[in-house]
Amino acid sequence: MAELEAARVELLGRNGLLNKLFSEIKNQPDPKNYGQELNQLKNEIEELLTSQKNSLSDKSEKQLPASNQDQSTSKPKKTAFSLPKVGHLHPITITERQLNEVFRKLGFSIYNSPEIVTSEYNFQRLNVPANHPALDMQDTIYIQEPQYLLRTQTSTIESYLLQQENKNLPIRAAFPGCVYRNEKVNRSNHFVFHQYQAVVVDKGITMKDLIGTMDLMFKTLYGKEVVVRYRCKYYPEVEPGVGPDMQCFNCQGKGCVLCKYAGWIEMGGSGMIHPKVLEMAGIDHHIYSGFAFGMGLDRWTMAQKNITDIRTFMGGNLAYKPNEL
Amino acid sequence: MKLIYSHLQKFLPTLDVEPQKLRDDLTMIGHFCNFYEEIENEIVFDFDIKINRGDCLGYYGLARDLAVLYDLPLQNLSDIEIPKSNYILPIKVETDNVTRVMAVKIVHIQNKKSPQWLQKFVRIHGTNSINTLVDLTNYVMFMFGIPNHAFDTSKSTDNLVWQMNPKYTEFKSLDGTVLPINKNILMVNYARSALSLSFWGGESCAIDDSTTNTIIEFAVYNPSVVRQNSHQLKVTTEAATRLEKFLDPDLIPSAINYLTKLIIENCGGSIGSNFYDYYPNPIESPSIDFDFDSPSLISGIDISVDFAKKTLTNLDCVINENFVTPPSIRKDITIPEDLAEEVIRFYGYNNIPTNQPLEFKSVKNITPAEIFLIEQTKDRLVSEGYDEVITWPLVSTAVDQKTVIKTENSINAEVIYLRQSLIPSLKLQLDQYNRYKLPNPKFFEIGKIYYKEADKYIEKFALGTYDGSEFKEIILDDLDKPKSYNPQDINNSAIELTSQIITLDANVVSSGPADPKALIKKYSDLIDPNILWSMEITDIFENKYTFRVSYYNCDDKTAKKIHLDTFDLN
Repeated sequence: MAELEAARVELLGRNGLLNKLFSEIKNQPDPKNYGQELNQLKNEIEELLTSQKNSLSDKSEKQLPASNQDQSTSKPKKTAFSLPKVGHLHPITITERQLNEVFRKLGFSIYNSPEIVTSEYNFQRLNVPANHPALDMQDTIYIQEPQYLLRTQTSTIESYLLQQENKNLPIRAAFPGCVYRNEKVNRSNHFVFHQYQAVVVDKGITMKDLIGTMDLMFKTLYGKEVVVRYRCKYYPEVEPGVGPDMQCFNCQGKGCVLCKYAGWIEMGGSGMIHPKVLEMAGIDHHIYSGFAFGMGLDRWTMAQKNITDIRTFMGGNLAYKPNEL
Repeated sequence: MKLIYSHLQKFLPTLDVEPQKLRDDLTMIGHFCNFYEEIENEIVFDFDIKINRGDCLGYYGLARDLAVLYDLPLQNLSDIEIPKSNYILPIKVETDNVTRVMAVKIVHIQNKKSPQWLQKFVRIHGTNSINTLVDLTNYVMFMFGIPNHAFDTSKSTDNLVWQMNPKYTEFKSLDGTVLPINKNILMVNYARSALSLSFWGGESCAIDDSTTNTIIEFAVYNPSVVRQNSHQLKVTTEAATRLEKFLDPDLIPSAINYLTKLIIENCGGSIGSNFYDYYPNPIESPSIDFDFDSPSLISGIDISVDFAKKTLTNLDCVINENFVTPPSIRKDITIPEDLAEEVIRFYGYNNIPTNQPLEFKSVKNITPAEIFLIEQTKDRLVSEGYDEVITWPLVSTAVDQKTVIKTENSINAEVIYLRQSLIPSLKLQLDQYNRYKLPNPKFFEIGKIYYKEADKYIEKFALGTYDGSEFKEIILDDLDKPKSYNPQDINNSAIELTSQIITLDANVVSSGPADPKALIKKYSDLIDPNILWSMEITDIFENKYTFRVSYYNCDDKTAKKIHLDTFDLN
């Protein structure tokens, strides 16, 4: 048995032969085929090891006195066969990684910051003064009203980013994050959901950079055929503001129940970072400009995986087939 | 907000644009229009108003934008000669939360049921038709975006006082609702009675069919006081929605003129007082130092200085060399970037190319190492057959009451604590999987846990696993982190279970030794992949193979039938 385990470690362990081969996947002329062949090899080795292990345990079982075996409850383990169980990533992680990859290729870092934040980082640093009507745009969950709360948007991460990295200009950062709203949980609403945001601060950044980059992202995520329009939209933390809308994939812009007869589906919010936001972060807006955009991930990911209930996503009945048959 | 095309044409008589084009154009310049429809022979648009454009909570504000977009003349509706009256209204304003009030008394009116066109207008705007006078006040609020109120002076007297609540403990609104009020409430009263809130009229001086003399008033207040009052009393009215935004006090003269004209046209009567006007500190629009090249610099496309100047002039901005003063109605324009947005939106966002993204640039990598660790850990667990789950960060029970962080106002009252450990949540996940009879669950979650330590809120990344027999949890923040990590390219399907998974066994006797893998392939190919969850051989004894097959998203009966057919057990 010990020898078998040593062989397993050598072949399948963390620093094993197979993982080394896997790490070379990117240098191969045909990575997809290479990966498939490696996976097949891995499965075969696993099968072999399992069958060896089973036959060894058989022998050890046989050495036990018959009376120790409870025939009624123990599963017959003499010989059996099952395909190895495959692990899965949560659909949200998959979407986040797809987006991260788009931005890594453009030189972006991936960023993060706390979820419990002060009102300053969630609102004031994003140009939403206390008692401003824009506060009504979001129902906030407070930990200690009015100072401490659960972040309501990934723009809050932007507040941290700009403040903490204001000496590391230019900045290129993207960040997935879960955000909170005081919503009753039902089929289509949840108090926690997922957003994605990207932020650039540099000299001479324009709306053309913003719109071109967003379009690249949408085309990567939704396919080259996607039609997106960019219109004027208001968010306190940007000026000018830009709203991307995707032409409804269900009705091709004609108007249907899904798009509430608008023909278009709002995809998120974006714009040129408001000069006050840069100023509050200690960045000279006369020298630097920047863009920011954010979008929700849950609805898109649900549509992609044919999931109809947002509660399925979190602690729900989302499951994965153990292997491809 | 609703917008009726024919009433928009009162401000823009030459407007002649297809509804679909108008809808799309309004949207592109910032007024997201969901759809238009025909209601009672009217074309009605439905759209969202940008929260910073209080001026567009009236037809007039939108008409001004469209006049610039389509280069159309704006009609002046406030064109009546107001006869002078020697009677000076005895109105008082005792609070500096009032920016401006204008009022006039109209006497000897005959109030009655509203004409059809007016009933239809208020109905489309979601308001009940009351009588001509009340409906006209609503009509002018929708047209100009400035709320107003009419008092029956036989009940209110002419001695109206704008004040912070001096003594009243309750207020009875027009619909009979009784609200408890305190001294923070801005009101209109007279010496002996509470008459009106800033955003909701009171029952005590309501207009009815017998009203013959009325004072109509338009006011603009300190918006944050209205907002606080409306929040405190948990009442939202059309008036409150408008008054809590920055409205233009300079629009009041036009609006009151138009309402006066409509009342006299529809109810008869005559003007019975001077035009009372309280406006102690007229608000001056800012003079903004503007670079006319900035629309090009911000948008990244070439927009001429001439276009910028023409657009701003058409918006009624005053240009004095490089200083631009926006019109008083545009309270949203305060900095050069606001002016640049005006120029760019009328130039057309759709003229900005969409195919020129940023190019790669090497900048300092500021990715926190914990992100590399998280990605690496996920890949390792997936390669070991674990499935990733995400559970609720808010939970119903505290692990440690002393350190738990509690939410104050969550409307999901059953989950008020931020989780201190992933394990209770993963146990719930397992319960859920067991309810669905999912065979052999094996899963993990990487998520935050939260606790209080010496009055500080702490959050850490934790990894929780369930390997089929036990739960484990470790804090990722405490581990060594890789300097870099490129996550693997993984894409997989996920399934929303809608019913229990049904697991059935079957024995297959083969004529000789068979390859178990080939047997699984043979039988799994016979079953619709949309209901086949998993298949394994749990026992091989001589030539007898025991299959265990799980079916999903189908009922018991269907699963059994397919199972019997597949393994020829009938």
